[in-house]
Amino acid sequence: MSPVDLLTSVPPAVPIVLAALVVAVVPRTAGYAVGALATIYLFAVSLLTPPGEYLSVLFLGFDAQLFVADDFSRLLGLGFGFLGTAAVAYAASSGLPRTTLAFVLSYIASVAGVIFAGDWLTLLFFWELMAVTSTVVVWAYGGDAVRAGFRYAIAHGTGGVLLIWAVAWHYVETGSLALEGGIAPGAPALLAVLGIGVNCAFIGLHTWLPDTYKRPHIAASVFLSVFTTKSSAYVLYQAFPDGHLYIAYMGGLMAVYGATFALLQHDMRALLSYHIQAQLGYIVAGIGIGSAIGITGAMAHLFNNILFKALLFMAVGVIIYRTGEEDLYELGGLWREMPLTALGYLFGALSITAIPGFNGFISKGMILDAADPHYYGAPEYEALYWLLMAGAVGTLLSFVKLGYYAFLHGPATTDVRDAKPGQTAGMLSVGLVCLGVGVFWPAFVDILPFSSGLDLHPYSPGHLTDSALLVAVSLIGFAIIRKPLSALGHVPDVDRILNPLVFYTGRVSMLAITGTFAAVDRGGVAFVRACYWVGNNPVLAVGRVTRRLPAWLVGEHSPADGGSRASSDRRFDGGESPREPTQTASEPSRLYLRTTIGGTIMLIVLALTVVLFVLVFL
Amino acid sequence: MIENVPALLIVLPILVATLPLLVGLRYERVGWTVAALTTTAAFAMALWLALVIFTTGEAVIHQLGGFPRPIGIELVADRLSAPFVVLATGISMGVLAYTRRGGPRGNSFYSAYLLLLGGLLGLSLTGDVFNMFVFLEITGLTTYALIAKGKSGESAIAALKYLIIGTVGASMYLIGVGFLFVATGTLNMIDLATAIPQQAGYGNPLILTAFAFVFVGFAIKIALFPLHTWQPDAYQRAPDGATPLIAALVSTVSAYALFRLVYTVFTVEFLVSIPHASEIVVTVGSISVLAGSALAVMQRRVKRMLAYSSVSQFGLVVLAYGLMNDTALLGALVHLIGHAIMKGGLFLAVGTIAAGTGARTVKEYAGLAKRMPFMAGSLAVLGLALVGVPPSIGFLGKWFIAVGAIEAGIWPVAVVVLLSTMLTLGYIARLLERMYFTPAPTRGGAPEGSLATDGSGNDPTPGAVSAGMLGVTVLAALLAVALGFSGGAFDSLLGPFIEVILNG
Repeated sequence: MSPVDLLTSVPPAVPIVLAALVVAVVPRTAGYAVGALATIYLFAVSLLTPPGEYLSVLFLGFDAQLFVADDFSRLLGLGFGFLGTAAVAYAASSGLPRTTLAFVLSYIASVAGVIFAGDWLTLLFFWELMAVTSTVVVWAYGGDAVRAGFRYAIAHGTGGVLLIWAVAWHYVETGSLALEGGIAPGAPALLAVLGIGVNCAFIGLHTWLPDTYKRPHIAASVFLSVFTTKSSAYVLYQAFPDGHLYIAYMGGLMAVYGATFALLQHDMRALLSYHIQAQLGYIVAGIGIGSAIGITGAMAHLFNNILFKALLFMAVGVIIYRTGEEDLYELGGLWREMPLTALGYLFGALSITAIPGFNGFISKGMILDAADPHYYGAPEYEALYWLLMAGAVGTLLSFVKLGYYAFLHGPATTDVRDAKPGQTAGMLSVGLVCLGVGVFWPAFVDILPFSSGLDLHPYSPGHLTDSALLVAVSLIGFAIIRKPLSALGHVPDVDRILNPLVFYTGRVSMLAITGTFAAVDRGGVAFVRACYWVGNNPVLAVGRVTRRLPAWLVGEHSPADGGSRASSDRRFDGGESPREPTQTASEPSRLYLRTTIGGTIMLIVLALTVVLFVLVFL
Repeated sequence: MIENVPALLIVLPILVATLPLLVGLRYERVGWTVAALTTTAAFAMALWLALVIFTTGEAVIHQLGGFPRPIGIELVADRLSAPFVVLATGISMGVLAYTRRGGPRGNSFYSAYLLLLGGLLGLSLTGDVFNMFVFLEITGLTTYALIAKGKSGESAIAALKYLIIGTVGASMYLIGVGFLFVATGTLNMIDLATAIPQQAGYGNPLILTAFAFVFVGFAIKIALFPLHTWQPDAYQRAPDGATPLIAALVSTVSAYALFRLVYTVFTVEFLVSIPHASEIVVTVGSISVLAGSALAVMQRRVKRMLAYSSVSQFGLVVLAYGLMNDTALLGALVHLIGHAIMKGGLFLAVGTIAAGTGARTVKEYAGLAKRMPFMAGSLAVLGLALVGVPPSIGFLGKWFIAVGAIEAGIWPVAVVVLLSTMLTLGYIARLLERMYFTPAPTRGGAPEGSLATDGSGNDPTPGAVSAGMLGVTVLAALLAVALGFSGGAFDSLLGPFIEVILNG
């Protein structure tokens, strides 16, 4: 059995889950070693497994493909594996509790399941598992994170259900659960785009993202910022391999929207969270364009985003770890105190803002080229191109802002130490890869899907001029808006409306459902109780009915029931009516006798008739 | 000598029934003594009669006044009637151990008591269908009297209800007999068995109508759902001392009489040749099983609950009549005898408990195991026997009926039979749970319902429970268990008779 056979003999999720179980019980140091091995395993599987289909099992009559390796899954696996290892090193020195690491590993396992899934059923299974495990990672921190985790769970639960409906409908329409060809158009596509849109932070469905990612442990934020959104962008591609104009424009709007809101944030991790949305906007735009360069650019940006966004979360995490301060405006002058962290931040910021020489420049440039009507794009992408450019300016502005206030602005107010060795190792390794990809870009392009036919010139004079122009505009712009921006308080996002809406919709529908159920239950119980009562008090029942009948139907009945209407309402089976005076307790009503005896005689006649009929005529 | 015993068994209680009233003019509490002596003598004679019948294997036939069959009236003691004669006399004797202290008192009660015994023995022994009507009326009238011995107005109402409904039932039987007489010209059971196919034919509308009237008439007397309405009132309102006798014997002997009529007079060929005849019997029985159990579970008062339980158990017996195979018929007869012992014992226990504690509702039975351990134990044993937990006579009967239903291949009925066991557990378990697992309410306020007038007016007083009351109840429980080992004996005693009626 060759090493490759060994690697492909189990679904990649399984060893990582086993590692998570081990981490939960062994001492912390050993646990982190196991965690690092698990992420290295993910990297190795992605690197060594040749494209192909492995491990197909029959599950509930469906052909579930648990392990399919192709260019996409291998690319994502490499990014996730490498970043995961660096992040484990970072987490080890950031004091992430052992149990949280175990949850993180189970989260990584479910992500590995998603990217190596070969059919929609397997993908859905791991997709839902991803929602659950990531929620647990948020919850594990406690405090504020718990409530945010609930909102996160509601968002992802809703998205998951929408995707289940989409896949089910897709199956009904096409009779196949294979990934090839994407989701069937029409209702399944609409459901799928909404369901995946939650995870991809489409505008309006994104509120969970800045809400959640700023709250848990700093190292947990690093993991969270990487896996869910990026693997979801990959799933978006699988659902819509040919792209769609609306999706492309949603991407463009996300870039602008995310960058704008990022610019307005005080909380550093919230700022970075909005940038997840902005950068996803570029990826979604590339997928939406659907051309070879668009998808290649999207996948490249996805891979780079894994690296630099995690790097930025690491650097910001170190600041929070050392200073305990989350608010940007309370910091300043940290570059002297924390030069290593500042270096890490610089690498990340230069990458995300697409400065030449760094990886963001390569991938963002591909997406812009794909949209540019004067290059690879089509006329209908003219507006998209300018949206993406505006997003780039917003990105530059916000990272200038973040860097300026954290590291430059004024003297350091506190005496703090720099990043710990593990944190430094994590940051610098990722930062160097960012730089390496930017410099040695042809090697990187080779591992991208659909890259063979592309003719790329990232460092062409035109690209460099564009880039310089963007930087200049941004720096001047920042100098102008810096003062008014700092005076601006909290700007509400759609969550101000969306959260109460979801909450009250949930509360009202819950009350409606439980209320309806209770009403049905009460009705049922009352009915059974009434039957019970009639069974136990047939005479009273007959008496009550006869009293309600119109007089012409039953004649004058007041003398017939003993002369007293009240006396017919007495209990004769126990004589325990509280309302009756004792002297009448043993005095029977004629109605009682008439009902019981007359009723029985009627039954006797009926029975005789039936028996005679059956015997003589049948 | 032995051929006069059947006549003596009937005549003795009826004649002696006058004594408590006559001698009572001089001695106030002579009734119990007279009744005790008479029932003991009758029990001894019944045992002797049974011994002779089962050892010789021959039926003992008495021709009243020496007139032979077509004209005269015959009394027939055979393998079928002998067990019921022993049962009737034995239970009558046993219940007296309760009434000595538990009441009701008074010489007129014992006169009615002895008359009832005479009527029941007459029903069991008569070989003449018109004579059977006479004894049916004697039984009915004395039962009305016994129920009316309760002190409250409700007892009178219950007696009146039974009087009217029961008389309708007996009259319907009489009409059926009339049709039979018109069709065949004879009233003797054995003659009828041959005269029906020869002189009228089974399909004759007169015969079919006669069967319908007889069956419905006895369905009233046996208290099958939905013609049972007199029965819960009667059982509940009758004095605690009279209920065991009525519950154990009146419906049982009526069910025996129905068996006698169906299998001796109409014969199994009638059931086989007439479409739907056996189906009617099985259906009515099955409905009674289910409805009776459901009604029993709903009751709050223990006596009423046991009364509805009888509706269900007699449904089981009648259902087995319609299955027409030897296992089911053996089961029906065993369950008939077993039910008499178990239900008699249960009502004795309930009466004793009411006398000792005043508890009458299921709720009030809470914690009874601590207060009256022997009565609670007997109630538990008898109840579980009624459910059909082996070893017990209840298990034997239900087992044979279930096997018979499966042999007959009528699966819905087999399900009903097995279900009846579970349904019985439904109401017995309520009692067991109350008695053993619910703590007694704290003494403080009087328990709810202790003031309830139940018709008998038995107030809990110290010394209200005698050793005889306890002893006879425990004896019934022991008997119910001991007879659980008598399956072989019943088969050897009753098997030959069932063989004859099924195969001619």
